[in-house]
This record gives sequence, structure tokens and C-alpha cells, in this order.
Amino acid sequence: MLTVNRVSRIFQEGKAGFRNVDLSLKKGEVVGVLGTSGCGKSTLLRVLSGLDAGFEGDIQTGSDRPEEAFGMMFQEPRLMPWLTVEENISFGVKDKSRKAQAQELIETVGLAGFERHYPKDLSGGMAQRVAIARSLLNRPEILLLDEPFSALDAFTKMQLQDLLLSIWEKHHTTTLLVTHDIDEALYLCDRIVIMRGQPGQIESELFVNRPKPRKRGDVHLAQLKDEILSELDFTKR
Amino acid sequence: MSSRTETAVTPSVKEKKNKKTTLRTWNSNLLLGSVIPVLLLVVWEYASRAGWVASHLLPAPTTVIEEITTMAQEGELWGHIGITLYRVFFGFLAGSAVAVVLGAATGYNKTIHRLLDPMLQALRAIPSLAWVPLFVLWIGIGEASKVTLVAVGVFFPVYLNLTSGIQGIDRKLIEVGRMYNFTSLQQIRRIILPAALPSFLVGIRSGLSLGWMFVVAAELLGASQGLGYLMVFGQNTSAPELVIGSIILFAIFGKLTDEILKRIEKRTLRWQDNVENAS
Ligand SMILES: Nc1ncnc2c1ncn2[C@@H]1O[C@H](COP(=O)(O)OP(=O)(O)O)[C@@H](O)[C@H]1O
Ligand SMILES: [Mg+2]
Repeated sequence: MLTVNRVSRIFQEGKAGFRNVDLSLKKGEVVGVLGTSGCGKSTLLRVLSGLDAGFEGDIQTGSDRPEEAFGMMFQEPRLMPWLTVEENISFGVKDKSRKAQAQELIETVGLAGFERHYPKDLSGGMAQRVAIARSLLNRPEILLLDEPFSALDAFTKMQLQDLLLSIWEKHHTTTLLVTHDIDEALYLCDRIVIMRGQPGQIESELFVNRPKPRKRGDVHLAQLKDEILSELDFTKR
Repeated sequence: MSSRTETAVTPSVKEKKNKKTTLRTWNSNLLLGSVIPVLLLVVWEYASRAGWVASHLLPAPTTVIEEITTMAQEGELWGHIGITLYRVFFGFLAGSAVAVVLGAATGYNKTIHRLLDPMLQALRAIPSLAWVPLFVLWIGIGEASKVTLVAVGVFFPVYLNLTSGIQGIDRKLIEVGRMYNFTSLQQIRRIILPAALPSFLVGIRSGLSLGWMFVVAAELLGASQGLGYLMVFGQNTSAPELVIGSIILFAIFGKLTDEILKRIEKRTLRWQDNVENAS
């Protein structure tokens, strides 16, 4: 579905960005990218999505229209303040029949009754839900999520993670999920890639062989978490 | 409040209550705001009647109103008002139309910006009334030169506000459009123009007030009809009630048209997260 071959994007004379990233996603796979802040995760997504063209290396998608293959949910909701919730969700959707599905999606993300509200009247969690619904309505072949829940409180976060799980179950969207939340990665992903350094590089990769939905307190996940923590240990170089 | 505050808001009830309270504060504001003007009017009337001030320089408010109503009844006034409104309206339309086209072009395209903006900024440095003799020379003293002058006055605030509005747009929103593979035209129509709308409306409103200023200037300098002409006429015939009457009419129409734009602005900017829209 997606093959990334030795892709680099360097800023500030080699002090920032990311370097030599190899990655490949199978159809329907959910891969997490874990890393400390500043190691180039957002930059990686910008490169993949086509927003940043100044990279080296090679990116292949299995799609016949690569420029339309990606859907992106940014780190911030990025809603159009002059559009209502429902208008924001169907923003940019060309297919008329898709627009009819907007209502269904509004209910799925728990925003029924708020269709005609403007972003200024939404809480952070609600705005983020609108952003999720917007990125899902377009049904991209590959969904890129940039720390989608990092700004939310623990309860809303868990709610939305479960929402993502149910959506994946339905649509099997290939997803690259950037996060700095280890529990989130373990709860949602089939495979986790760990990045570190400045510029960031892929340090290691591990599979989470547990059927979804998983239990948040799963012992196996706790073991994996320990592994990851020692991997990210900052005293180690 | 419960932990599910997010979904527990009931907006309809809140809105109704707000409307009532705003109406009440609006009324009391009106009352408070008119105390001093009413007092001044009373003093003025009394001063004029008691002969404290020479009534051939400062006639009493009632005299002024009488003069205006007589002129209105005789029908002479409507021609003056009509022609002034006509000049403001078409000058405003022309000025803002040109400003929207140039503003959108320079705001969106860097090359066009580098090409046009320095020149427009330089032209702006010319006090706009300095154009009058030139316009009269070029297009004569007919309607065209007056409408053009108003248009020049309207153009600059609209243009400046629109370009700065476009340049101030959050790049993050533009990127959302890029993710959907928007064409340039789609970007302009669906993201850039709506995002620049608030500052555009600011420009439109200050453009209109400049338009009124310029129509006065144009009519003072050479006209045979219009409210500004009425002022010159009143000056030349030592009729201060005509001058004051015209000033009052200018104030009324200026305020009225601004109020219309303000309403439009409020309606179209309901989505803005500012003090005015706060509930
Ligand atoms: N356009 C840019 N020019 C210069 N430096 C940049 C640019 N974009 C990002 N960076 C730098 O690259 C580094 C990685 O940024 P980012 O990808 O946002 O990290 P992360 O998302 O992992 O926190 C940061 O130090 C940032 O300052
Ligand atoms: Mg980031």
C-alpha cells in the first residue's frame, strides 16, 4: 500500500528533520510512529502527504492517483471558523453521495445536535472530533494521523480511541498514527516504529500481536511498554 | 456540571435569555448616551432665542429643522439628497469593486503583489483631495469626476484591509485545502476569501466613511446640486440654517449607511470568536 524508501528531510543544516526512513505499510495495517517531540514525526507526515516536497528518497503508493491517496488529520483541528460543524465535516468532499454520509458520521463521533454550531462554540475535544470526522468522510486510502488526541483529557481520549477502532473495523483504512503516547500506540497499532534523535531516525520496530479490541491493562502490553521505555531511555545513546 | 459537559449544553435556552438582556442594556445605553446631546440642544435653543448668540450665525435647532422640513415639503431637498446618495453609491461600488479585484490578486499572487503594491502604496501617499483638480481637468466637472473621486477615497481602505487580511490568513488552513487538492480558484473561493472577510468588512466600512468625506469635498469644490452644494450655497447667502441642516443630513445618512453595513457585518461574521459574539 505504501512503501517509503530511504526518505530524508533535513532542516537547519542537519540538526532537525528526519533521516533515512524506511517504512512499508500493508493494506489495512495500522502502524504507529512513536518518538519524543522534535524528532521529525510531523515532518514525516508532511512529506508523505505531499505538503512538503523538499525531501530526498522515494515514496510509492499502491494507488493509481497518489496525490489523492492520503488523508491527513493534523495535530490541531484546523477547522474553518466560518463553517458550521456539518459544513466543516463535508469540507472538500467532492462526491455528493458522500455528503449524505456526513450525518451518519456526525452521530458516530457523538456530535448529533451540534451540526449547526460554529467552531468557536466547541470544546477542544469536540473540535478534534469534527476533525476526525472530516478526515474520515473523504475515505482516504491511507490515513495519516498526527498526535490526534494529544491535546485531550484522558476520558475524551479513550472515547475517541475506541471510535477509531470501530471505524477501522468497518473500513480497514491503512493508517499511520504518529503519537508520543506509548499506551495509545499499544492500544491501537498492529506495529510500532520507534524514532529518536535529531534528525530523527528509525531506531527499532515491534509487532503487537494481540487481537483488537485490546484490554488497556493487558499484561503483554505492559511488557511491551517496558521494552519501549528502555528503548527510549535517554541515558542510552 | 457533570463530567459530560461537552454534550450537555442546551444552546437554545441561552440564546433567548441573551436577546432580552441585550435589548435591555441597549435601551439603557441609548438613554444614557442621549443625556448630554439633549441637554446641549436645550441650551442651544435657549441661547439662540435669548439672544446670547447671534441668530444669523447660529440659528436655533427649531429654525434649522423648520428650514429642512420646508425644503422637503417644497420638494427641493430631495433632488439634493438624491444626487449625493447617487454619487456615494456608485463611487462606493466602483471603488470597492476595483479594490476587491486588485486586493485579491495582490494578496494571492506574490508576483502581482510585487508588481502593483509599491505603486499603489505610493499613490496612497498623495492626499486624495489633491486629485480633484486633475479629475476636473480630465473628466470635467460632471458626475463622472465626482463619482471617481469618491471611488478613489473608497478604494484605498478596502484594498489595504483586504490585502493585509489575505496575507494574515493562517497557513494551516491553506494546507487543509492542499490536502484536498484544491485548485487555485477553489483555494481563493473556499478558504482565502472567507478567511479574509473580517478585515475586508472593516475595509468596506472605513471605505464608506471616506466615501462620505470625499463626496462632501467634491460637492464643495464644484457642483450645482447635492448636499455639499447646499452648504456652499448657505455660506454664500449667509444662511447658517442651510449649512447646519446639511451637516445634520450628512450625519444622518452617514450613520444610516454605516448601520446597514454594520448589520451585514454582524450577520456574516456570526462565526467569529470575539467579544461582540460572546454569550
Ligand atoms: N520548515 C522548517 N524549517 C526549519 N525547521 C523545521 C521546519 N519544520 C520543522 N522543523 C524542525 O524540525 C524539527 C522536527 O519537527 P517536527 O517534525 O514537528 O517534530 P515532532 O512532530 O516529532 O515533534 C523541529 O526541531 C523543528 O524545529
Ligand atoms: Mg509534531
